[in-house]
Amino acid sequence: MSEAMIEVVGLHKSFGNNEILKGIDLTIRKGEKVVIIGPSGSGKSTLLNCMNYLERPTRGQVLIEGTPFEPPGKKYSEKHVSALRVHVGMVFQNFNLFPHKTALHNVMAALVTIRKIPKDKAREIAERYLQKVGLSDRLHHYPSQLSGGQKQRVAIARALAMEPKAMLFDEATSALDPELVGEVLQVIRTLAMEGMTIVMVTHEMKFAREIGDRILFMDQGRIVEENTPEVLFQNPQHPRTKAFLQEVIH
Amino acid sequence: MQNLHFQTAFEELFPQLLDALWVVITLAVLAFALALVIGLLIALGRLSKLKLLGRILLIFVEIVRGTPLLVQLLYVYYVLPEIVSRIVGTWNPGFHWNLNAMTAGIIALGINYGCYLSEVFRASILAIDPGQMKAAQALGYTPRMAMWRIVIPQSLRISVPTLGNYFIMMSKDTSLCAFITVGEIILTTSSYASQTFLTIESYTLAAIIYLVLSLPLARLVLVLERRLSRHV
Repeated sequence: MSEAMIEVVGLHKSFGNNEILKGIDLTIRKGEKVVIIGPSGSGKSTLLNCMNYLERPTRGQVLIEGTPFEPPGKKYSEKHVSALRVHVGMVFQNFNLFPHKTALHNVMAALVTIRKIPKDKAREIAERYLQKVGLSDRLHHYPSQLSGGQKQRVAIARALAMEPKAMLFDEATSALDPELVGEVLQVIRTLAMEGMTIVMVTHEMKFAREIGDRILFMDQGRIVEENTPEVLFQNPQHPRTKAFLQEVIH
Repeated sequence: MQNLHFQTAFEELFPQLLDALWVVITLAVLAFALALVIGLLIALGRLSKLKLLGRILLIFVEIVRGTPLLVQLLYVYYVLPEIVSRIVGTWNPGFHWNLNAMTAGIIALGINYGCYLSEVFRASILAIDPGQMKAAQALGYTPRMAMWRIVIPQSLRISVPTLGNYFIMMSKDTSLCAFITVGEIILTTSSYASQTFLTIESYTLAAIIYLVLSLPLARLVLVLERRLSRHV
């Protein structure tokens, strides 16, 4: 449990003159479940996007199992970044399924294109992961024919099929109708129990408390407070954490 | 209006027009293929991070869109070989290069339509949710792979109806190639009309041939549009 999976060192991120992240240092250990909470605009999603380099930090380093996305002294390489990024799966608020592909082909696409797995084998893998998220009966449906919860489960299967070492969930249930949230959380819960390293941005405080080993509270581009869920939710230290929790718990 | 000789015109001109129709179809298909390639490359160039390239391409597109197709046809057929011949002639005296009319037509139509299509491609690529690019990159696609394998296939679906309409327009614009001596429908018709003085009959037949070509194409575009919009 002690080895580092994702390390974030001195991370700054600006868009134009707008500094979103103002110096983040964070280590996610293997198998750890970390939940990031905080008000909107606090930089949670940007931090998550920097963790797999979908956003390139303005300053600082991100390392996956000790390998930096930008090795010092080397030129920025899309190839290296893409290859390293495969180890970190990501699930988005808006699913971002490929609308012109069926559920099966959504999961297969990267297996064939990126991991160069032969089609028949890739199909087997894809079917297995879709079964894992409970969608064996939806293999040939297009995203437009699926409910939000089903779409998000396909997206999770698509990420898992690449056999990542860690998963990032960016408000994975925020776009769902309330009655569909449960089925997606159940899939994430199972993953957590299997020992997957998880970093999650969410507004589901109950769920955060349930699966989180550690909760980070972010505000205005900084990690204001971090602690175990018990301590952070029962006895927050920082006034901004208190104020935020009071807002969301009710 | 008593002395119309449609029968004669039909018997004499129609077989020639069928040959000319093949010229038109060949011209349109080859020029459109060229236009698709040019259009996509210009669109990608203009969307790339290279600011200077984008600038240059924009100027090129503006020049082409700001001048008549007929001028471009004349330019490629008469002026371009002349310029090339003079330049090469400076170190290789006596060099003369000729471009045959069909090739010149394909090049000029291809470039002209390529510039218009580049805007179609650009708009349709920009219409794709940026989340698609993000999702593909999160799965390990490089930006270039994500563009070619995820974004462009979707944008092509959106643009097919527009592309189809441009193809129909181009098949009719091939008529301008009569000015650079391509033996297409109009040149064939005008030479027959001037020999026989069957002006009304000849040009009416020519118009009908264009209609017979473009009406089914328009139907086809409609069908394609319905099919492709099912899972967007």
